[in-house]
Amino acid sequence: MKQLRKWSRILHRDIGYFFIGTTIIYGLSGIALNHMSDWNPNYSVKVNNFTTSINLEKSSSTKNNILLLLDEIDNRKNYKKHYYPNSNNLKIFLKGGSSIMVNVATGNGMAEYLKRRPVFYEVNFLHYNPNRIWTWFSDAFSASLILFAITSFFMVKGKKGIKGSGGIYTALGILIPLLFLIYYL
Amino acid sequence: MKKLIMILALAFSIIACKTETKKTEGSLERSESATETPFLAMGEFDTKAGDFINKEVKIQGIVDHVCKHSGKKLLVVTDDGSVHITSDTRFEDTLTGSEISLTGIVLEERIDESYCLQMEDDNIKSHSEGATNDELFETKKKHIQQYRDQMKAENKDYLSSYSLKYVSHIEVE
Repeated sequence: MKQLRKWSRILHRDIGYFFIGTTIIYGLSGIALNHMSDWNPNYSVKVNNFTTSINLEKSSSTKNNILLLLDEIDNRKNYKKHYYPNSNNLKIFLKGGSSIMVNVATGNGMAEYLKRRPVFYEVNFLHYNPNRIWTWFSDAFSASLILFAITSFFMVKGKKGIKGSGGIYTALGILIPLLFLIYYL
Repeated sequence: MKKLIMILALAFSIIACKTETKKTEGSLERSESATETPFLAMGEFDTKAGDFINKEVKIQGIVDHVCKHSGKKLLVVTDDGSVHITSDTRFEDTLTGSEISLTGIVLEERIDESYCLQMEDDNIKSHSEGATNDELFETKKKHIQQYRDQMKAENKDYLSSYSLKYVSHIEVE
């Protein structure tokens, strides 16, 4: 038992240190992605309404006219592509995910500028398993979480251990998800 | 601890090599099959897709939208029409606004009366739970009615809606 306690502490401590960064990544992105219906976790969105007198009706000079519009309200270097969702509207895509929608009949338009949220964009990117290597790494992290749970049983002895208050906390932590399952499933 | 770090580093380098090899093999297979894939213009997709159910086709258009929730759905558009794409893997949101040539398998979804009833139930449920506002509730109600009206007008029991299951894509300059 003494050896088991010793190794539980060593593994819990050292692997815990190793995965501190990963824990923060999944903790932050977990909160961000849990509230996806309330906000855009990757981008902040800024809307700019405008009116233009440039003729943006579909014609052979549409592309040139779009570039003139971008000179007015943005930068022509940001132009990516455009299309007409219907006869009244023109949608222009800009580099970086931003876009502009213009009513070609009235000249009223709305530019939607996206700006990456620092830290959140990066942690969310990793949360979604960008490639196989990260999948393996995050599997190792998940396995280590199971290991942390198991080793925590043996790390502390006495009234604060699993036979004391630790056991009560463990039971509560298991009971809460069980109650959710019973109520909602 | 040093040993642990060394083992992890070694394991990741082996996995990295394996992953790269698999990717190369996959892209070779795709480029071979791509030569035989029929092309459907976006304007004719809805009318011709029915002839290619469960078969690969190729389309070309601009990525209007990457699903922000799953990242596994695309809306590809042109002036003439649009096609929904579903995938098992996530798309980069930087794909938005890019013109792509995409190969996918045609999927058919049949919208019939039971589908409409299910949509109605879902709409009422989400509205009563406060997940949708009055405007969205009414819009969906009208949408369901449009399906019913179209089935009646065409004297059919169902409407076919076509989408593509993603296979591969290349960006077009």
